[in-house]
This record gives sequence, C-alpha cells and structure tokens, in this order.
Amino acid sequence: MYESILTTAWPWWVAGPAIGLVVSLLAWVSGKGLGVSTGYGAACAMTSQLSFFKARPFRERWRVWFIVGLPLGGVVASVLAGTFSPTLAYGQLDALTHGSLAAKAGLLFGGGVLIGAGARWAGGCPSGHSIVGIAQGAVSSLVATVGFMIGGIVVFNLLHVVLGG
Amino acid sequence: MRPWAFTIFGAVFGFVLSRGRVTDYDTIARMFGFGEFHLFGVIGTAVATAALGFWVLRRAGNRTVRGGAIELSQKPWRAGALWGGLVLGAGWALSGACPGTALVQLGEGKLVALFTVAGILGGTYVYGWLRSEPSTPTVSSRTQEAR
Repeated sequence: MYESILTTAWPWWVAGPAIGLVVSLLAWVSGKGLGVSTGYGAACAMTSQLSFFKARPFRERWRVWFIVGLPLGGVVASVLAGTFSPTLAYGQLDALTHGSLAAKAGLLFGGGVLIGAGARWAGGCPSGHSIVGIAQGAVSSLVATVGFMIGGIVVFNLLHVVLGG
Repeated sequence: MRPWAFTIFGAVFGFVLSRGRVTDYDTIARMFGFGEFHLFGVIGTAVATAALGFWVLRRAGNRTVRGGAIELSQKPWRAGALWGGLVLGAGWALSGACPGTALVQLGEGKLVALFTVAGILGGTYVYGWLRSEPSTPTVSSRTQEAR
C-alpha cells in the first residue's frame, strides 16, 4: 500500500494537498514564494542585457536552481512508476494532429510562446498566481486564474472544432 | 538556503505534479473539456492547503525555520492579469502544459515538451524585449558588458 504511493497516480485529494504542502514548506524553510514562470525570466536574465530582465525577481538565482529540479522530479516519478521510456508520443494530441510531428511541434512551440508572453503579462503562471497568489488572497491572482481557465476552455474547444477531434 | 536545496524542492514539486497527473495531456484535455473533475480538485485542494499553510506561518510570526523573514509579498493588482491570463490559458490549451509541467514532462521522457519549453523561453524573452527601454550602445553600457 505504501509502495503504491510512490509508483502510481494519486487521486486529487492526495495530489492537491501535497502541492499545497510543498509550497508551504518552501516558504517555511527558505522564506521564498514559489513561482515557476519567473524562473524562465531569471534564466533569460542570465544571458540578456535587456532592461526588463534587470528587475529584482529575475536577478534571484534560486529561481533557476528551483526549475532545474522540475525535470529531475519527472524522471524520478517516471522511473519509479516503471513507465520511463523517452517518446515523441503526446496523448490524444497524436490523433488530433494525425500523427504529424511537425503539426504537434508547431502547436507546442506556439502554445509555449503564448504561455511565456502571457505569464509575464499576467505577472505569474498557474503556480505563482493560481496556487500561491490565491492562497494569499491576491485579487490579481484570482483574476489571472479566471483568465487561464476561460482562455484554456475557449481555445481547447475551438481547437477541437477546427481539428475535428 | 543553498542552491542545491532549491533544486531538491523543485524535484519534489515536479514529482508531485507528475503523480497528480498534472503533466498528462489527456488529463488537461479532460479539464478543459469538462470531462473529469480531477484537475479542478487538485487545484482547489492545493489552494486550500497552501492558504492554511500560509495562515499557520503568519500566526507563527512569518519566520522561517531558522528565524529569517518570509518574503511572501502579495502580487499587486495589474490590468495585465486578465489579458495575460487569457493568453497563457490559450497556450495551456494548445500545448497541454504550463511553465512548470512542461519541464516535468521533459523529465518524464515526453520529448516533444522540448518545443513547449523552447516556446516559453522565447515568449518570455520576446515580452521582455518589447517591454525594455530602447538602448543605444554607449560607452558606459559597453563597459558594463565587458565586466
């Protein structure tokens, strides 16, 4: 029973509290507020002279160290589950793009650009706004999260109409 | 805290996101298509638990375990929250990922997430470029670059 906690998918009532616990522990241990998208900005700041990236959050090097850990967690989760096998497959999107790697790459890259620009415009992403921000009672975080959901629901359903999924 | 300790926190966060299926395209598709309650439940209980955690920390004087200050400043209001939020949501739906999960997916062996990560870095950079002061190469900025 205890082993399955490490090797199989969790129900929402385990995964959600675990996320909230990690966020609280990071604040308690390091004094920092978790936010992933600012880490991408901090990565840009390491190689860019643009004035935008001179702002204080992007000069915090711990953010880069934090996001470097994310893929490591993915490897561990995947290996423990016994499902680790590098692949170009990507769930239902394979059928939606009719097996075209170029179409999939275009959707993912284009989506990524919107995510990167949108996160900076909104001042955060689903981790910094939707979890940490709302938990602090920030109005902008609640509004941003409503934006994430509306934007996501509208575009997802449009995509399915267009691609006929 | 030492740099590698943040990496460990990142790894634990990535592990939890993976176990919660937050990195799974089909799960995200079922959230935006209202086919499954799972992700709404994950986000809702994550917020509730974090709010409880922050409340306890505040009651305890907002001090870290070693007595330092907790720098949890509340994000100020900005009109971009809605517009940027809509744009990010569109990207989330197209790619099935957000900034954190794209990196976790890469670790899980979903190699196409490389395109998402490259896009996020590119989008971040382009936004920063659009919002930066136009700079003319001057003697002083060149000296700064040389340092």
